[in-house]
Parts: sequence; structure tokens; C-alpha cells
Amino acid sequence: MGIVPKETIEVTAQSIGITNLSPEAALMLAPDVEYRVREIMQEAIKCMRHSKRTTLTASDVDGALNLRNLEPSYGFASGGPFRFRKAIGHQDLFYTDDREVDFKDVIEAPLPKAPLNTEVVCHWLAIEGVQPAIPENAPLEVIRAPAENKIYEQKDVPLIDVRLPVKHVLSRELQLYFQKIAELTMSKSSPALFKKALVSLASDSGLHPLVPYFTNFIADEVSRGLNDFLLLFNLMHVVRSLLQNPHIHIEPYLHQLMPSIVTCLVSRKLGNRFADNHWELRDFTANLVGLICKRFGNAYITLQSRLTKTLVNALLDPKKALTQHYGAIQGLSALGHNVVRVLILSNLEPYLTLLEPELDAEKQKNQMKSYEAWRVYGALLRAAGLCIHDRLKIFPNLPSPSPSFLHKGKGKIISAEPRKRKLSADSSENQSPHKRLMITTDGLRPEDHTGPAPMHVDKPMGNYNPPQNSVQPSSSEQASDGNESESRNGKEKERGKGRSITMKAILGQIWKDDLDSGRLLVKLHQLYGDRILPFSPSTEMSVFL
Amino acid sequence: MDPEQVDEFVMGYLKKKGFNSAAKHLQESLHNNNGSSFSSIDYPNDPELTKLIRSFSQSENDPSRYREGYSKLRSWGYNSLDLYKHELLRVMYPVFIHCYMDLVGKGHTQEARSFFNSFRKDHEMVHLRDLQKLGGVLAPSHLQEMEFARSLRQSKINIKICQYSYDLLIQYLHRTESTLMLGIINEHINFQVYSGQPNSASDDIEAVTIVGSFHEIADHVNQKEIHWGLLEDSLEDRLEKTGGLLSDSEKGQGESKAGDDSKKRSAEIGKQGSSTKKLKKDKAGAATTKVARQETSTVLSSMPRVKPELAMPVMSTDVEESILEDLRNRVQLSSVAMPSVSFYTFVNTHNGLNSSSISHDGSLVAGGFSDSSIKVWDMARIGQAGSCALQDENNQTVGVNGRRNYTLLVGHSGPVYSATFSPPGDYVLSSSADTTIRLWSTKLNANLVCYKGHNHTVWDAQFSPFGHYFASCSHDRTARIWSMDRMQPLRMMAGHLSDVDCVQWHPNCNYIATGSSDKTVRLWDVQTGECVRIFIGHRSMVLSLAMSPDGRYMASGDEDGTIMMWDLSTARCITPLMGHNSCVWTLSYSGEGSLLASGSADCTVKLWDVSSSTKLTKAEEKNGNSNRLRSIRTFPTKSTPVHALRFSRRNLLFAAGAVSKHSS
Repeated sequence: MGIVPKETIEVTAQSIGITNLSPEAALMLAPDVEYRVREIMQEAIKCMRHSKRTTLTASDVDGALNLRNLEPSYGFASGGPFRFRKAIGHQDLFYTDDREVDFKDVIEAPLPKAPLNTEVVCHWLAIEGVQPAIPENAPLEVIRAPAENKIYEQKDVPLIDVRLPVKHVLSRELQLYFQKIAELTMSKSSPALFKKALVSLASDSGLHPLVPYFTNFIADEVSRGLNDFLLLFNLMHVVRSLLQNPHIHIEPYLHQLMPSIVTCLVSRKLGNRFADNHWELRDFTANLVGLICKRFGNAYITLQSRLTKTLVNALLDPKKALTQHYGAIQGLSALGHNVVRVLILSNLEPYLTLLEPELDAEKQKNQMKSYEAWRVYGALLRAAGLCIHDRLKIFPNLPSPSPSFLHKGKGKIISAEPRKRKLSADSSENQSPHKRLMITTDGLRPEDHTGPAPMHVDKPMGNYNPPQNSVQPSSSEQASDGNESESRNGKEKERGKGRSITMKAILGQIWKDDLDSGRLLVKLHQLYGDRILPFSPSTEMSVFL
Repeated sequence: MDPEQVDEFVMGYLKKKGFNSAAKHLQESLHNNNGSSFSSIDYPNDPELTKLIRSFSQSENDPSRYREGYSKLRSWGYNSLDLYKHELLRVMYPVFIHCYMDLVGKGHTQEARSFFNSFRKDHEMVHLRDLQKLGGVLAPSHLQEMEFARSLRQSKINIKICQYSYDLLIQYLHRTESTLMLGIINEHINFQVYSGQPNSASDDIEAVTIVGSFHEIADHVNQKEIHWGLLEDSLEDRLEKTGGLLSDSEKGQGESKAGDDSKKRSAEIGKQGSSTKKLKKDKAGAATTKVARQETSTVLSSMPRVKPELAMPVMSTDVEESILEDLRNRVQLSSVAMPSVSFYTFVNTHNGLNSSSISHDGSLVAGGFSDSSIKVWDMARIGQAGSCALQDENNQTVGVNGRRNYTLLVGHSGPVYSATFSPPGDYVLSSSADTTIRLWSTKLNANLVCYKGHNHTVWDAQFSPFGHYFASCSHDRTARIWSMDRMQPLRMMAGHLSDVDCVQWHPNCNYIATGSSDKTVRLWDVQTGECVRIFIGHRSMVLSLAMSPDGRYMASGDEDGTIMMWDLSTARCITPLMGHNSCVWTLSYSGEGSLLASGSADCTVKLWDVSSSTKLTKAEEKNGNSNRLRSIRTFPTKSTPVHALRFSRRNLLFAAGAVSKHSS
């Protein structure tokens, strides 16, 4: 049987009013109809080819009918190719969708837009054989091109068609690689494997075509997975690896990456479980931000200013959660000491007054809140300390190295303690060794410690510091050694029975020292120049926080 | 076997065949001799003969015999020795189509159809398009009507086959008594038996095309002599005489002198100038590019020169000057020095752009549209407007206000299938489905002449390299040569078996090449109107043609994406260029002929290094191998099929195409 069954002939005959068509006639007609249809299609295909098209349209069939001196088919000159629909319940039956249209609607419908006029636009498809990367051109395959040349060079003999991938920019291997990496990032089940993947990401050449896909992937996943702490952390690791890879030119994609990174830094909530150590994630991300600014800050002048603006806004908004403040502080401190000095230290005073009630265990009953406050506090401390240390490093000749040693020791204790203490219970016992410690080190400031009140974050207190600090250098090296050993003892004791309140007090003290010395340092530096040098020890210590 | 039995068979056969009187005579004589006389002949003793006679007596009209015979032959062929298999399988296709046509011819439509469908898979890979055509043949009358089928029926197919394969085949046919198959093979296949080892399967291109009796004619036609050399006293010639190596200072010199002198004298002076300069150059040490130029120029000058057969139009001195200037400034291209490609993209064509072309200097772009209009853009003007930022805005607002950036040429009454520029760019020639060719002036923006003569849609029209003359080709299977000042065609080239789809002039104007839906390319002598070459090898409709600037080679592109490089003198395919996977719409040689650019519906422009091949050919000829040229670069467009390509005289490549929205 041909394509045209005799039933079709019969139906067609009926439709044009021939009722007495004999079955033999239909049978005879069917093959001839098929032949004629094929003939017309053959001509129509010629018309299609000469119209430089690869899709057959109704106008081609009309052209073919015209070539045969036949009447064209009316009512199909839609321009585009036909959309056939499958008839429900029949396998091979198709029809063109011909909806009934209300005449009124047609009349009342607004005039359609005039079709755009035909234009010619010009662009360079290639310049001396190289395709410029302009939007008019198809995306280039960066990696494949040199490889091909190599092949051609190697085989000078006549080559058999190496077909270039045009539409699929990514090679199969790269696709697989991307899938694998994405899988690993999402799965979290095999940290070892993921580590290896990160190493590969950070070192493999030839990953460049994947960069847009990765940036997309990261942006998508970060916005989707804010509750999934591990995923976020993994994603940031991926970002870091991408940044580290020397073969990747990530610059054009930074603008896509930055929002996700900043999200991981200052989002209110990262992860949904209590155990999620989002602080770590924020620290890590802050590092990333610092890295990016260092590398691309010069090329993109607005990058850092925009970033700091975002972060400072987050920091100075009292409505924002403390976690966000923490992220902002970490981010700012990662951007360098100038940023800290200008943006944090200048806002330190009002900020601390805000923070104070949160830090006070008595006022702030919510443990979580107070914990967060301490975290923020620590971050501030660190930022300010680092800043001052850096400031002081500018002056090359420190008069006495010993004080720095001394304070290093002290610093260690203090830095170690607050963190441990946070989770441990209070104990008043600790107070004594620390008191001692403080007394011995800062022999001339009994007044500081006489006050049993844990919190003295008052500004006036700072005023005492300059004299106190100026005395510090006088303490001998032996004393410092002694202090260190003592402090170690103290530390061990504390481990046994950490006590937050006292430590808070001490911390507050030290913090204030630090803070005030820093602030003063800036001020004093302007005022006194070299005489500020004695303060250096107190900042050295903060390095180790 | 009994003699009586034999007599019966003979009687039956004669009756069946309608030889009634012969049968009567036989009967009479049998009666007269009482069955004794025939025994004197020893035919009953010859077993071969009895078998033959017996087979004749079987009912010949049984359609199932075709299927049986063919499937037996097929399974035998597929089980034959590997070394000879491909040669034997080559026999299958003609047997298959003739079996089918026999069945159709005898009116067994059903059986023919089922036979065709069950075995067509075997041949689809190579002969898909032929099979599609034949699939429509369903009644005896169609066999007569269809050109293709008729030519197949009337002619014999030549098959080259080695001695052993031939013996194998004949042995098999005799052994199995498949007289039907034997009959078909004898009737339709002409074996060219050669001694020695069988050819390898792939290299025999002719095996894949069956174009009726073409091969014999083609072999005959291709014996004719052609002169593919360039014209005497062409501009290139003159340029060489003046010394293509003029440096800038020399050029100034040459031109200042040429200004007041006649052409020939300026040439001489230029020559002198260049020779003195050459001395200086030698002292300074010749630059590599210069050396390259010298090489190519010597190659060009060593080419034979021919006299024009047509009266050549006189070129105005201005035009001549500008062309010479361009030729002097031509960039030398090679596989290491790639051209720049400027792409003109048509937007908002609404699927109506049928053809486009670019003038020789790339400044004008013409589009032929299915709404019968022709639009011409002056890219030089648009480019200027675009370069000034201020004007650009104005331009856009103007565009919104409805002023067009193009010149609209209206006159045709059917889809315009080609619109091409004359070499200086002052005329546009368009051809249309309304069977006319129209000549337009780009200066006056008006229709000058309407040429009527074709009986059907005119697919293509092309100016000769020197203007004035043009060639057209049409659905009426003819190509015609016209001159601008005559209403009637000067020559008519008939011979193609199907539509003539594209036409191209030879650089020396003495020949035109035509590509056709019959899958052949022909070369015609313009003076005599005779076909002087037939190029057989394409597997589908030929869509584009290009002639190398030295006039020795021709490239043709087809519907499947294959490009063939032909040597005009031998009519052999040097090599097929494979790489495109869709229609090759356009081809263009670079100015010095070292690169070939091809544009395709697969949205790419490819550059092919054809200089290496032409150098290699001599070595290749010795080896007897066909080499494949390499594609040196592919430039993908975003989603724009490439409709037109043109190397400017300075070797800048221009490309044009309409952006296609649905690029899936």
C-alpha cells in the first residue's frame, strides 16, 4: 500500500460531491494521487532551496504549484512553518490547528504592530582569521581552538573532516567534570573526595569554559540553600579554589559571584541547626572577600567601595542581627587596616554603647544572644587590635622588644579564654590568678581591678590608660617571663573551671585597654608622634587574638 | 529428458509468448515426423539448454519471482568474499531498481511496493534521493512520464568490475538458474571487466551515481579541448607587467607618470620603474612578502593565455584605475595569513529573503525578497552614519519615522530568486519566478530593461567578469547567455536533465558552468553553445559554484554539504571537501586562489586551503591517490545561515545572511 490509502480518495470524493465513485477507481486513483503529491513536493523542495531555507513552508508548495501551472492552495500563507497537532486517540493522525475566531473580536482588536523594517547590520565575523569576542559572534571555545591547531600541525597529511563543535560549546569531558563537581558540592557525603576536587579546581588548567557555569551554580545554590550550612561552606570552598586557580580568568564573573559571597558573610541566618558553626563560615568568607579585594581592587576601583558600603550599612544598622554585625566586622577587617581604622574605629564608641547591654549577662538573659554579642565583641577586638598593630608596625624601631613579649603572653591567655569560656560555666575561682596576673603585669593599675564589677566599658576609663601603658615598658624581662609561666598556670586552671563573668570582666578590661589605646594611638599619633611608640606592645598582643 | 517433454515445453513457451503460427507449425511438423526428427539434434543431451528451456516455460508473470531472485542474489552477495564483496554489492542497486520498475511496469503495484520497502534500506545510504524519487513511481504510466525513470530504463549502467568478481557473479547466476536476474543484468548493466585486483570500495565515485546514459556521453564530451587560461591583456596581466611589486613610493611614481600617458605606455614605464626599484630592493634585501608575491606572480604569468571569443566590453579608465589600485593593494592570503571577514546580517526579514549578494567592493548589499521586491543597502553610507555617535541617534530616529536605509526596487511579479551586481557595481541583475530577468541601475534606482525569454522561474543570473554579458539559468532546464543591449538571448544551453539551479562564469568569459538538480555540473562553451564538460559526482542538487581565479579549477557545493573541487581540463574531481552538514549556499575563491570560502545553512563560514592541493596534485597524480583538502578555519555565526560570500579585490571577505530566529 502506498501512503495514500483508497479510503482517502473515497472521503475526498464524497467531500466534493462524487457519491458514485467505484472502489476500483479509488484503488486506481490512490497511487496516482501519491505520485502527483510527491511530484509537487519535489518541486516545493526546489523552491525551498532557492529561498535559502531548510524548512518547507506553504509558500514553497504554492511556488511548486505555480511551476506546474496549478492553482495555489489558499489560506495557508501564514509565513511560518505549520504546527501540526496530534489527533487524540489516533496514532498517526495529525491536523493543523484551525480555531474558530469570532468576527467581532477580529474587528475590534487593536491594530497589530507594524512589522519592523528589514535592516542590515554589519559586524566582524573574523579579523585576520581570529573571531573577535563580540556579542554578535557565537561564543568561542577558548580551550579547544589551540588544541585543534596542534592536531593540524602534528598531522600534516591530509586530514579527514574534524568537525568543530559549534552549538555545544562544552566538551563532553567538561560537562562531566562540572556535573561531578556539582554533585560533590551538593552531596557532602565524602569530604575527602571533595577536598581532592577542590585541589583539582584550584590547579587544573582548561577549566575556563566552565567558569560561567560555576558562577551560575554558586549563585543559584547560595540563594536556594541558605539553610544548609554545609552546602554554603562547600560553595565558598569552591569559590576559593576558583580564585586560586592561576589558569582561570575569573574577573568577568566577579560581579556574579560577589552577591553570593556577601550573602554568606552578612546573612542573618546561615544554616538552620544550632550546631552549625556559621561563625567559621563567616570568617572564611571574610577571608575570601579580602582576597578578592586584594587581587581585583586595583582593576575595579568601585569594587571595594561598594563592598565596604554594604558592610558598613550592615554594621551600623541596629535593627540587623548580631550575626550580621559579626559578618560585617569580619569582612571589613579582612579588607585591611585602613578600612578598619576609618570605618570601625570611628564608629566604635557608639557601637559599643549599643553592644554593652547585650554583653551584660544580667541584662541579657538569652544565652544565645549574649553569646552572639560576645562573638561580635571578640571580632571588634580583633579588628581593632590588628589595626593598631599594623599602625604601629609603621614605626620601625620599637624601643623595647621585651614588653611585646610580655604582652604576647598575656594576650594568649586572654584570647584563648573568652572562646572557651563561652560554653563553660562560671567560676569565681579564676578571678584570683587573673587578678594576680593582671596586677603583676600591669603593676601600677590596681584601680582597674579593684572594681569587682565585671563590666567597665565606660569611656572615661580609657583616660587612665595612657599613663598606665606608658608605665608598662618599664617592667623587666624577668617579670614578663614570670608572667608567662603564671599565665599558663592560670590558663590551665581556667580550663578546669572557666568562669565567664570574671573573664568577661577581664576581657572587657583588656578590650578597653586595647580599644582605648588604639583610639588614643590614632589620636596620640597625630599629637605626639614618636611618643606613641610605647603603646606598641599592647597591640602586638592583639595579633594573637 | 524425453524429447516429447521438450517439445511440450517449447510448445507451451511459444503459445505463451503469442507465437501462435510458430506453435502451429511446430505441432504440424511434430505430427508429420511422429516425434522422431528432433532427436537428430542433440539438445536433449545438453543439460544447460534444457534447464533454460524449462525456466522459460515457467509462468513469467509471477511477481514473487522477482523478490525470490533478488533476495537470493542479495544474500549471496552479502556472503561473498570480503575482497570482492563491494564490487558485487554494487551490482545490487541497479538490479534492485530494475526489479522494482519491472514490477511496476507489469502493473503489480502492491508487490512492487512491498518489494521496494523490504529492500530499500540496503541502498538508502548512498542512493537516498534516487529512492525517494522512485518511491513515487506506482503505475506504468509514471515510468514513461518521469524523466529519471525513463533514462534509467533506456540506458545501460556501466559498472567496473574485476575479472574474478565477474566470474563469480556469472557462475552464481548460472548455477542457481536465476534467469530472471541474469536477464536484468544483461539488459541493464554493462560490465567493464578489468584484470587485476578489485578497486577499493571508496574511491570509485562514479559507482554511486547512476545518471542514465550519462557516462558514455560524459566520457565523450569530456574529450573535447578547453582553454582554461586567463584572457590576454586582462587587468591582472597588465598589473604584472606594471609590476605587482610596486611599493608605495613606486606606485606614486608610476601613477604620476601614468597620468598623462596611455595605458600601455604607463605599463612600460611602470615596468622600468619597478626594475630599477628591484635593484634597490636587492641591495636592501627582499622582504619575505615580496618574495611570496613574486612567486605567485610568476605562477600566474606562466599560465597560458587565451583570446576572448566574445567581443569584450570596453572598461572606462576610471573603473580600470580603481581595479588596478585594488589589485595592487591586495593582501596575500594563505593558510597562515587569514582574511578578515565582515558579516552583513539581515534582520527582520520575516522569512522573506530569498537571495542576497554583495558588490565586488563590498559597499553594496542587495537582497531579493519573496514579496517580489529587491532592496539595496549602501553599506558605505550606513557605516559612515554608524561611525559618528551623534549621527547614529539621528539615524535611529529617522528610522523610526519611516525613512528607509535602503533603496527599494519594485518591478517583479514573483519571488526574486537572485539579485547580483555587475563588477563595477553600477547595475543590479535580478531574476524571478515571473520568468523575467530585470536590469536595474543603482545610480538611477530604476529598472532599465526587462529580459523575457525563459519559460519558467529563473533561478539564477550572473554577470560575466567583465560585465555587459550575463548568464541565466532556469527551471526550464536551460541556461542562456544574454548581453545587456539585446532583448533576446544570444545563446541557449540545453542538456541538463533537471532544473539548472546555479550558473557561474569562467574568468576568461569563454565558458559558463551550470549546476543542476540532476546532480551534475556542466561547462558550456559560450561561443558555440556546446557542452564541453560534464562533471559527475555530486549526490544531490548542486547549489553553488565558484571558479578559481586562474581558471583551472572549479568548486561546487551541494545540498548535502559536500563541496567538490574539479579540474576543468580532466573533468575529474580533485577532492571532495567534507565538513558542512547542510546546504552549501555559496562559495568564493580568494583573489589569488589560495583559499576557498564556503557558506552554509549550518551557520558557518569555512575556509579551505586549496593552494596546497593544487600544488600537491602532480605528486598525487603519480600516486594515483585522491587527497582531501583541509578546512583551515571555521567561523560559526550565532544563528545566521550564510547566503552569500564575496572576496573583494583586496581580499577582504564579505559574508551575508539572514538571521534565523528558530535555531534549534
